[in-house]
Amino acid sequence: MSRQRPPEPGAGPAVEGYLAEVKARLPGPARTRTGIVAELRSGLLDATDAHRSAGLPPPQAALAAIHEFGDPVQVAVGFRAEIAANLARRVAVTLLVTGPLVGFLWIAAAAASHLGISLAPPWPWTGLSPGVSVSIYLVAVAAGVTAWAAILGIATTGRLTRWLPARPRRAPTAAAVAGVRCG
Amino acid sequence: MRAETLKGHLDGILLAVLEPGPRHGYAIMEALRIRSGGHVDLPTGTVYPALHRLERAGLIQATWSAVGGRRRRIYQLTPAGRRALDTERSTWRDFSTAVTALLQPASPAVSSP
Repeated sequence: MSRQRPPEPGAGPAVEGYLAEVKARLPGPARTRTGIVAELRSGLLDATDAHRSAGLPPPQAALAAIHEFGDPVQVAVGFRAEIAANLARRVAVTLLVTGPLVGFLWIAAAAASHLGISLAPPWPWTGLSPGVSVSIYLVAVAAGVTAWAAILGIATTGRLTRWLPARPRRAPTAAAVAGVRCG
Repeated sequence: MRAETLKGHLDGILLAVLEPGPRHGYAIMEALRIRSGGHVDLPTGTVYPALHRLERAGLIQATWSAVGGRRRRIYQLTPAGRRALDTERSTWRDFSTAVTALLQPASPAVSSP
């Protein structure tokens, strides 16, 4: 079911055309893009009202509002970094929450498949073959890298940004590293 | 005043505009123009991503509100935003004092006899 809001009354074809140009260049979930467009629409309508109050007829007032908002490509570019940072943060939080569980399951599965032990405790952890030990070691290293990448992603996309140098472009990279490691 | 000139200071300016009370995006832009005496006139559409960035940093918070039959996203400072504004003001005072002193015409050097 679509949760998209209908256009507000008064948003003419010129304003809707401008908004469509912005929206077409926005990445991310439909809900995020719809929210951004709804906010821009209300701002454009406010701007149109201001130009009408200044004496312009409605069509010219709408065009003046669009001119005032600037190049739709630049507006979309401004939002792209924000959307990417928000997505990276969500991915990082998800990985940080689910990562330990996935790592534990990998270790349990590796040990069980090599030793033929049951999946229920108590588990005989002694006497692991060198191959299993290396596998567990690699999984532990991957889990560590995942955790650090996820923490970096969270730190560079959330409230900690007020204390950190702005590095929004690194956040998607960190989230991608975390995702690849976890996958 | 162009966006490039304001680079690095836009966040503090937006926080200052929100200090008196909550405003929606277009009202923030109008306040920027009025308080700057018309010198700050950015493309309005570029202010919205900056507001979203400040929101993500926890310096402002936004809520949707219907006023006069129109839904608007209303922004207001958070306590962290007020602290950040204080820091911005202090940093700007130091910076402007130093740059003003540097840009003043140098007094003619006193030639030694």
